[in-house]
Amino acid sequence: MEEKQRSPGSDFTPDPGGAGATQDVPSDQRKDKMIISRQLTEQSRFAYAALCGVSLGQLFTGTVNSVFRQQYLKGLVRWLDLDESVMPVMGAFLSGLGFEGSDTFLSVLQAEPLLAAGATPIIQDLVSFSVKDGQYDARARVLIRHVSCLLRVSPQQLEEFEETLGESLREAGKESEEESSRRQKKERGRKLRRYLLIGLATVGGGTVIGVTGGLAAPLVAAGAGAVLGAGGAAALGSATGIAIMASLFGAAGAGLTGYKMNKCVGAIEEFEFLPLSSGKHLHLTIAVTGWLCSGKYSSFQAPWCSLGECGEQYCLVWESRFLRDLGSAMTSLLDGLVSMVAQEALKYTVLSGIVTALTWPASLLAAASVIDNPWCVCLNRSAEVGKHLAQVLRSRQQGKRPVNLIGFSLGARVIYYCLQELASDQGSEGVVEDVVLLGAPVDGSEKAWERMTRVVAGKIVNGYCRGDWLLGYLYRSSAAQLCVAGLQPINIQDQRIINVDLSSVVKGHLDYMRQMDTILVAVGVPTKEVPGASFAVLQPSIKKRTVDIPDQQTTQERQVTEAENPEGGTHTEESRDGKEVAETGEIGEGWDIPDISDLLDSLHDAESDSQTAIQKNFSLTAEESASGNATESGYNARYDVKDTDLDNEHISWSWDDTSWTAEHSDQ
Amino acid sequence: MEEDILTTLKILIIGESGVGKSSLLLRFTDDTFDPEQSATIGVDFKVKTLSVDGNKAKLAIWDTAGQERFRTLTPSYYRGAQGVILVYDVTRRETFTKLDNWLNELETYCTRNDLVKMLVGNKIDKENHEVDRAEGLKFARKHSMLFIEASAKTRDGVQCAFEELVEKIIQTPGLWQSENHGRPVQLTDEDVGGESCGGYCALF
Repeated sequence: MEEKQRSPGSDFTPDPGGAGATQDVPSDQRKDKMIISRQLTEQSRFAYAALCGVSLGQLFTGTVNSVFRQQYLKGLVRWLDLDESVMPVMGAFLSGLGFEGSDTFLSVLQAEPLLAAGATPIIQDLVSFSVKDGQYDARARVLIRHVSCLLRVSPQQLEEFEETLGESLREAGKESEEESSRRQKKERGRKLRRYLLIGLATVGGGTVIGVTGGLAAPLVAAGAGAVLGAGGAAALGSATGIAIMASLFGAAGAGLTGYKMNKCVGAIEEFEFLPLSSGKHLHLTIAVTGWLCSGKYSSFQAPWCSLGECGEQYCLVWESRFLRDLGSAMTSLLDGLVSMVAQEALKYTVLSGIVTALTWPASLLAAASVIDNPWCVCLNRSAEVGKHLAQVLRSRQQGKRPVNLIGFSLGARVIYYCLQELASDQGSEGVVEDVVLLGAPVDGSEKAWERMTRVVAGKIVNGYCRGDWLLGYLYRSSAAQLCVAGLQPINIQDQRIINVDLSSVVKGHLDYMRQMDTILVAVGVPTKEVPGASFAVLQPSIKKRTVDIPDQQTTQERQVTEAENPEGGTHTEESRDGKEVAETGEIGEGWDIPDISDLLDSLHDAESDSQTAIQKNFSLTAEESASGNATESGYNARYDVKDTDLDNEHISWSWDDTSWTAEHSDQ
Repeated sequence: MEEDILTTLKILIIGESGVGKSSLLLRFTDDTFDPEQSATIGVDFKVKTLSVDGNKAKLAIWDTAGQERFRTLTPSYYRGAQGVILVYDVTRRETFTKLDNWLNELETYCTRNDLVKMLVGNKIDKENHEVDRAEGLKFARKHSMLFIEASAKTRDGVQCAFEELVEKIIQTPGLWQSENHGRPVQLTDEDVGGESCGGYCALF
């Protein structure tokens, strides 16, 4: 895979002195020898550049990215030592012409004797080229991933190389004290606008700010020697005179972990980053949690424990007081206040897509006070936090490297607002690589999402669940209730937006947290095996995924049973049924949909049952049960609509699980 | 400006190394000539708008490298080309005899069977011609091609070559109107001889 000379340690020179020695021999010949791509034949180099050009043209259309496209390719042509006369044709490739040549370029590269063992050197070369100026653009990384896919280099290999390079650059990138004091002086003299100060709110006299101005200390790329060979480091170092590697990793080595928010930033109480992984990478992932529960999920990190290889991982800690309130409100709502049967019914109502205040059952409306307040507070806070996150990213606290963002529920909302904020600014492209929004309580309109695509280099995943009634309920009073991103796919013609229907995994809003490991697999985020997790997730096997669902169901049922629900026995029966269905390996159809007429009955039963059953938590007044009946008639109308909807969209629903409702009525 | 343009045509220039493909293109697009023109790397690309019979056509011209080592790259450019210019050097016989190979390659890789071909004998300003005009004409007729002799150095015939090619393409609506492409074009010997070559005979 990687050649011997590239392995760390063989000629690694960690001390700057050694690096200086390396720099003393930058004779052009030696340099040429060391940049592997320059050893390729001219036609291969042409094919290599052309392949990148064609890919850039395909990946980044539009005028916003045109400057980046041209500069990147121009740099690459120079890096490859190709004649300037190829620039016109490279321009043609960038503008989308000649993409039919990709196959030819690929076969030329494959025929190259130097690449006989695989195209990994090309990818490594491309990474080295991309970071050589101390700035790793998110778009460059998207390109590299695209090209490595074309050249059949596995993402793991890319990740490994990036990690090795990152580690060694980091070693080399320690800033000398003299430099940092000089920088501080410069910063103090600078007048910063207030919003910038808020965004940067740092401790230690604003050590961080300077980097963003690109005036970080000149540093020697000694560490690169570890992976590129000594001459390679020289090439990295001398390509720009002296490379500025520190900027890659953010301010003075502190980066996100060192980031502390100014005490009095607007309405935000808490905002900091918690590292989830160790090590230094050339890219990072920020995970944003949506709420906090008690027990297993009482920390911000808990849902992300199975997040796999995706660079440095950070978890955003924000407004824990409010998120905890919201979490407990949600849990009590789902596990106690609203009966399982009513929840099932709600699921289908939401599925029908027509949600008005009238259709909500009395039990839920009565519980509104429990949830509405924390929800509203958190909605506002998450928007604020999102804007603040945008400031942090814009000021490159994380260093000049690509950021992936992932979040569920309100965490997704934080990210959404962060991207909206970034989009309203010029020059925010190339910061964010990939984005995953799960069950996002945000506007799902085309216009809003179109804006976002401008600042995201890679893909935007919208993980939604059609039957997430809680989300629909929480949005009942909002104007955007018919267009919530977490409930439906985003209808937009953009190759970068990927809609993932998580209905088979997520059965209620709380599942976004509980089923995170399964969800991560479903949306294609790398995962790792966690000791104690319910299954191994290294290979995304659908079977495993569906098998896991009944487990979840059982726990949920158990909770219901514990809540002294007299229907407990029936439910266990149901969950066993569910297990059988799931184990047959039906993709995406983990849940069972009862017959509608039975459901109506059961709903009726449920309303009356809950009257006796849930006395402990909650008792219905006569008035409320009356409105419950009124709701029922509302349901009747809904189901007509839903009937057709379901047929259209979910052809393989299993309808064979009507038995439980029958049993239920027996009771 | 953009609205006036009738169509965008993809033109390809092929031929042996050193016959003057890039010089022809440079003469046509920039009206310059460099005796020290360096070898093309991979492929070159130029755009030029040309007006023929009141129709404006945008030409996207791909100038391929003649060198053997870049041969592997060429096939990708044949795809979708509406016109091809085959160039040989009148002072080097072998560049003429190798035309058959080029035609074969063209046959193999191009996606349209009705594309317009033009044969250009370059460097007629030079003294010692090894391929005479009649020979070129005969070859062009045999393969239903347009024919012209030209010199990138003295400008002779360069503009005509491109204009004639574009005219022919525009006269073949199936070529550039995507709806009904695939309609075969009748290029008989008489057509070629009478129309294009005849026209040029008068020029020289």
